[in-house]
Amino acid sequence: MKFFSFYGHRRLFFAISTALMVIGLVFLFINGVQLDIQFKGGALLKYSYVGDLDADQVADFTSAKLGRLVSVQKTTDLSSGETRVVLELSGAYGMEAGAQGELDAALSAQFPDNHLVSVETSLVEPFFGQRFLTRGIAAVLLAVLLILVYEWITFRKIGGLSAGITALAALFHDLLIVFFTCVIARIPIGDTFVAVALSIIGYSINDTIVIYDRIRENRKRYPREAIDRVADLSIRQSMMRSINTNVAVTLSVALIYSFAARASLESIISFALPMLAGSISGCYSTLCLAGPLWVMWQKRKGKKPVAA
Amino acid sequence: MRINRLTFWLVLAAVAVVAWAAFFGLGGIPGADKMRFGIDIRGGVDAVFEPVDLGRLPTEGELEAARAIIETRLDQKNILDREVTVDQTSGDVIVRFPWKSDETDFNPQKAIQELGETAKLTFRDEAGKVLLEGKSVTQSIVEMNQQTGTYEVSLTFDAEGTSKFAEATSNNVGKRIGIYMDEMQISDPVVQQAIYSGRASISHTGTYEETQTLANKIAAGALPFSMQARNYSTISPSLGAGSLNVMVTAGMWAFVILCVLLLGYYRLSGVVACIALLLQVSGQLLALSVPQITLTLPGIAGVILSIGMGVDANVIISERISEEIKGGKTPQQAIVVGFKNAFSSVFDGNITVMIVSIILMLLGSGSMLSFAYSLLTGVLLNFLAGVTASRLMMRSLVKYDLLARPALYQSLSRRFVL
Repeated sequence: MKFFSFYGHRRLFFAISTALMVIGLVFLFINGVQLDIQFKGGALLKYSYVGDLDADQVADFTSAKLGRLVSVQKTTDLSSGETRVVLELSGAYGMEAGAQGELDAALSAQFPDNHLVSVETSLVEPFFGQRFLTRGIAAVLLAVLLILVYEWITFRKIGGLSAGITALAALFHDLLIVFFTCVIARIPIGDTFVAVALSIIGYSINDTIVIYDRIRENRKRYPREAIDRVADLSIRQSMMRSINTNVAVTLSVALIYSFAARASLESIISFALPMLAGSISGCYSTLCLAGPLWVMWQKRKGKKPVAA
Repeated sequence: MRINRLTFWLVLAAVAVVAWAAFFGLGGIPGADKMRFGIDIRGGVDAVFEPVDLGRLPTEGELEAARAIIETRLDQKNILDREVTVDQTSGDVIVRFPWKSDETDFNPQKAIQELGETAKLTFRDEAGKVLLEGKSVTQSIVEMNQQTGTYEVSLTFDAEGTSKFAEATSNNVGKRIGIYMDEMQISDPVVQQAIYSGRASISHTGTYEETQTLANKIAAGALPFSMQARNYSTISPSLGAGSLNVMVTAGMWAFVILCVLLLGYYRLSGVVACIALLLQVSGQLLALSVPQITLTLPGIAGVILSIGMGVDANVIISERISEEIKGGKTPQQAIVVGFKNAFSSVFDGNITVMIVSIILMLLGSGSMLSFAYSLLTGVLLNFLAGVTASRLMMRSLVKYDLLARPALYQSLSRRFVL
């Protein structure tokens, strides 16, 4: 394999990342951010049906009955072949239990041949949503803070704070990728997003630490070498480890995603797809962003290539 | 501890036992078949009840009474496997219960509706005639009878209730007055004497908790508000069962493919890694089934993710060992040095995942708790299996002359030097 300098190619990597961010922003404007009903409140009703069903008719009927706008979607579960219609009631409020029962009965009466059966229901009042949202954000911020502190302490000999901050930059990049994946795929932001975000935080930092660990060790071993060469060496040495681990995690998540997609398990898909994007991004950001960024920081500080 | 050739087989046997226990159960230890699944897998109802038109937060006493009401209701419907919790800060009662296997006639919306309605508490004589109603009770608390040392429910009636109660008791001395919640009898005390004071004690032979429950139920009948479900989700069991199969299949494939990759890439180190992974997963399953912690779909995803992350520890170690060998050390030396150097790396990496999963456990909610628990147990078991068990196994294996060839420990990757 040729001598490939990560640091040397940093402009290429920064360009790629910037391009991804721009694409994400574009989609953000087009699609907008969808908050999961857990966060904003609302109602989601899923019914299974047989035979032919005009989804728009169902929507109009429900809308007239409830006095709310209804958007509708048909889905098919690939593994069981079951067809479903999903009604989303607009407005950030739920529905009373009795009202659902009435709706079920009315739908059955209106579309008797289709055997509409309620399969899944989620009704959330928005004030619950507020609570979940603040707790989710608090969790993410707390995680970032704790990990930053931990890194600062562990890597103080190689400029702990700089290591922490560049790792954080790489992490932020990964979180944005996760976020944009949700935006592009129209996955609602809910507590699964929080769980994915937290997992990616743990996992991406994990990955980045490996590189810094190696850099720390190589600095001790080659105290007179220039810092970018040390960094490059460290990245290449730990690359196999990084790639193998990332392959392992990405493979696990990819399997979860593909099985879930085949079976139309939306709850798992909304977890697995961002997770997949995040783990791929995590690998990329660790190798191509975190290392070079740290070197740039060190060079600007004018560090001499002697071990501290 | 002295490591010899036997050590490997001992560890392997231990792994086999743990794996068997995890998947099939062993003796008193519950296995995967006795796993407690979340509602998203079993199907069921998850609802949050709130007082209607109250204008203020309910007091702690009122919430406890409300909980008692809902539990009585669930008892009446024979729903015994349930969780009813109270959230004081927001003034809700949270109810979760799974469908029974014969759930076809079970209407979730109706059930939820009924759970929240105001309970009707009645005092009836032996003939079944209603003597007075729960709304006449102004207070119902537990007191200890100093003379007998038993617990009693002490009731206080309002003015109208006092006179009715006086009449009821004087007519029924020596007979029983049944206390009914809707149609279900919750207590059946004998009237000792006529009571004019508007205060009564129901002596109850039972523990403090049992007596408290009774007091709550009576107080519940006196609740000034009804409850309504403001937030609920229901899942049909078919959706759940299908999801479970999908995830388990995904998990098995992940395990198999990763093992193949490990074997191919790291050879003998890979064999040890696979055994360690098996130990990790089995340990995780046991950590769920033994304390009967609820496992949800995200929880299973967490287990699968832990497999991927768990591979990491063994990859670090194997790579290190391989590097040391390529650097000229013998396998024995390489293994000792490799584990020592790699440990700090494994530790650092796992710590961050641990921090994150603890935060998620503290601040997360619902099915995500299961995910956090899976990650956390995965990390802890990774230390046990991926590091300690692997080390024991490898140091033991290398004592076999046949397995001491350096080539067996070299990975397929290149060696980089400056």
